[in-house]
Amino acid sequence: MRLRARKYFKHMDMILFISVMILILIGIVLIASATHANIPGPRRYSFVLRQSIFVGINLLLGAYLMRFDYRILKHLARPLYFFNLIMLLAVMLVGKSALGAQRWLQIGPISIQPSEFSKAIMIVALSAFVERRLNTLTDFKSWIPVFLYVFIPFFLVMRQPDLGTSLVFIAILLGTMIVCGFRIKYFLVMGGLGLASAPLVWRLLHEYQRNRIRVFLNPGLEPYGSGYHVIQSMIAIGSGLFFGRGLFGGTQSQLNFLPENHTDFIFAVAGEEFGFFGVTLILLLYLIVIVRGISIAIHATDDFGTLLAVGIVSMFTFHILVNVGMTSGVMPVTGVPLPFMSYGVSSLTTNMLMVTLLLNIHAHPKTLRF
Amino acid sequence: MLNKKYAYRLEFMLVVSALIIFLLIGRMFYLQIIRGNYYSRQAEGNRTRYTRILAPRGIIYDCNGEELANNQPGFTVSLAHRSAYKAETLERISELIHMPVPKIKEAIQLHGGSAEPVRLLRNAPPDVVARVEENLRYLPDVMLEVQPVRTYPNRQLAVHVLGYVGEVSEYEIEQGIYDNLKAGDIIGKFGLESFYDQYLRGTDGSYREEVDVAGRVVQIMDKVEPKPGQGLVLTIDAKLQRITEAAVDKQLRAIGARGCAVVVLDPNNGEIKALVSRPGFDPNWFVNGISEKNWNYINTDPFHPMTDKAIAGEYPPGSTFKIVTGAAALEEKKVTPDELIYDSGRHWLVDMRNAGGEALGWINFKRALSASDNVYFYEMGNRLGIKLMDKYTEDFGFGKKTGIDLHGEASGLIATPEYKKKVFGEEWYLGDTFNTAIGQGFTLATPMQIAEMMAAVATDGKRYKPHLVSKIINDDGSVAKRFEPQEEGTLPVSQSTLNLVQEGLEAVTEEGGTASSLKNLPVDVAGKTGTAENPHGLEHGWFIAYAPAKQPSLVVVCIVEQGSYGSISAAPIVKSILEYVFTTPGAKKPGKTASSGKNSGSNSKKR
Repeated sequence: MRLRARKYFKHMDMILFISVMILILIGIVLIASATHANIPGPRRYSFVLRQSIFVGINLLLGAYLMRFDYRILKHLARPLYFFNLIMLLAVMLVGKSALGAQRWLQIGPISIQPSEFSKAIMIVALSAFVERRLNTLTDFKSWIPVFLYVFIPFFLVMRQPDLGTSLVFIAILLGTMIVCGFRIKYFLVMGGLGLASAPLVWRLLHEYQRNRIRVFLNPGLEPYGSGYHVIQSMIAIGSGLFFGRGLFGGTQSQLNFLPENHTDFIFAVAGEEFGFFGVTLILLLYLIVIVRGISIAIHATDDFGTLLAVGIVSMFTFHILVNVGMTSGVMPVTGVPLPFMSYGVSSLTTNMLMVTLLLNIHAHPKTLRF
Repeated sequence: MLNKKYAYRLEFMLVVSALIIFLLIGRMFYLQIIRGNYYSRQAEGNRTRYTRILAPRGIIYDCNGEELANNQPGFTVSLAHRSAYKAETLERISELIHMPVPKIKEAIQLHGGSAEPVRLLRNAPPDVVARVEENLRYLPDVMLEVQPVRTYPNRQLAVHVLGYVGEVSEYEIEQGIYDNLKAGDIIGKFGLESFYDQYLRGTDGSYREEVDVAGRVVQIMDKVEPKPGQGLVLTIDAKLQRITEAAVDKQLRAIGARGCAVVVLDPNNGEIKALVSRPGFDPNWFVNGISEKNWNYINTDPFHPMTDKAIAGEYPPGSTFKIVTGAAALEEKKVTPDELIYDSGRHWLVDMRNAGGEALGWINFKRALSASDNVYFYEMGNRLGIKLMDKYTEDFGFGKKTGIDLHGEASGLIATPEYKKKVFGEEWYLGDTFNTAIGQGFTLATPMQIAEMMAAVATDGKRYKPHLVSKIINDDGSVAKRFEPQEEGTLPVSQSTLNLVQEGLEAVTEEGGTASSLKNLPVDVAGKTGTAENPHGLEHGWFIAYAPAKQPSLVVVCIVEQGSYGSISAAPIVKSILEYVFTTPGAKKPGKTASSGKNSGSNSKKR
């Protein structure tokens, strides 16, 4: 037992692990900063506390899961996929709604956001699904089942509505397609078709989503309503200057001008309180995570491992791009949290599980047989 | 193996990911380093709520300490300055103050980058204030500012003296007249409010406080108390002003006229005791932005309510001018007081007649002046010639502003051959000299100039600059500046000439004079009627007087536009005023009461 533990430890990607842990710790500090002034009474510490507890739980869970070979997931893929569909349907039927969207399921004291987990499930299920068909994925037609496979959960999440998460599915699919040799000319054709169908997609969107895109496309950013959050966020980041206003020193976040400052807009708190110096460090840490993830994909000893790693990296990259882009005013506002840093038990757990999976792929170069 | 077969694609992904991260770092560099100062200012603006505490304008008192213009607290609904507003906030406030959202957005846009709150509704009515106040805690960006609102408790009373206030316009700021003001600041626009604006305005204070997004005050950052404006103590006697206006309004109603100007002043020091111009208006109309109805009235009324006719109305002096002609003729020895001139009803050189067609026969100076005989004064004009007449006209103060402390004074016109040549391209005829001699023709004068002429006669030739303010007082009641009577020199006319003119004027109100209706007053009155020809309608009626005749303490000048003969239209108004001053036991007689009035004004302030 001890021997095996040491063996995993030896094979663990320490750079990845440490980078992620630093990001998580920075996140907790920023959550503390964002909530201590704005949340009244005893609930003040509950965010830091809950996030910390779940970091612990997830570390234990991850350590436990490291014992298994990720390849067993191949067999779990199909049940997970259907479990996912059921969960998403449940959200639609009995979910709690907030901000005009039904995204939460209440289980005991915690509300969970199934769409977060469904990202992870999507990566696992899609990787297994594609891996089985790798030899047949040649022409465009052969890809259609894959597209359909992604489309069903994509559609369900989009109707919640949660545009951000549903687009994560597309990012994961895109990463998978790239690594599976999807022909470049197909990409071009699909891109063209995508642009051509934009008006149709526009009609499928909810009014508030359309508004967000309108505001995003309008460079003047209407300072009323939908543009409000982004402007406050940009002010927070911009006023951080080079070294930031110091932890707990950001007026935008401390006086609550910054909305959702412990969840989706936590990066703006980082920008305000740690300055350019701090956010550059954070972004470089993310780059390390991505580089390690792709490296794991490159060195994986089987296609399932490569596919998983690529899916995970695609998800992280997409999240970082969209979240940081949103807080700095270059991406439309979608409810996409910043991996490892945003407060949110579902998101944190999903991301830590995905890192565990990366570590697992790294640690299992050979098929271990028990 | 995928990662062998498509290794280049994985490397491609690596490059793209790295690119994304560096683009984001670039974006941060732009926001935090290049635009950092801009956003820092925005953040500062967010967390601080800056409010100006408007300085109350100085109070305007009459000579007895009665407040003619003061300040009442009023509520202004404002939006705190923010870089952005939530849509709900705008919708809520729009409902509360009944102002459409697009108009609010327009106000925000117009407001620009100033740290001042965006003022949406000034002097909001009580029900709106109550509604907004109830909802303030849900509307963190909305503020109720208490601001002093200029109020004129007597409404129309002395409006052309007091004037009114309004927001300074973008144009006025661009002109550089008000270099330290911002658009929307309150300034005096008219009357004394405008003339003494720099004293009345005061210095605004301010406070800055740190607030959170919910509008809760975290701390007060600094506070500067406002410095109230200085007060004015006027020479105007509000009671006399009221009596005068009442007399004017009553007479105008009785004869169906609308335009009128009255000047009541103390000839011994130039203090103006009452000043009326009709039609008038209520200065309170302007305080909160004038309504369309009132604006239309003010702009389209043919009798121009906004013009202060006492200083800006230019009229032919009519027969009141015979004072100048007569004084000149006597002084230049063109006639002796006893020389008899034959009035056959028309002059023998030019066929010009008396107004009513009467012929008085052989008359001397006194008779000619008291009966306002035209033929006699045609002959005086004939003997003087236009050059000499113009010299005396100028000496009596015509053709130039009196220098009263009001803006917009007109200078009138002296009839000269040069003027006629220039404007009409015609030679000067003897008939023009005749017309000038009796105050018709080209000569124009303001009622204030006529009052100054009359005052000079009343004081045996001493001339004082007319003025409305006796002192400027500080907020604590102390005197900041005192305006002493300002002597403007003396008439170059001998005492004996003046005595003859005075006798003539006294005879005007005696039996046989043109204003014998004033003969029963308990005080001797020297007066002169006049009728100014008006090419646009009925003649303007003048009546000018001073009293008591032997020791004048008051000059009253009145013109009724299109009121026909002065003896019918203007004289009754003057009579009512004199009656009040010299018969009412409570009425303070000017002259010696002027100083006591000033004292009571400052005393009431000190207490």
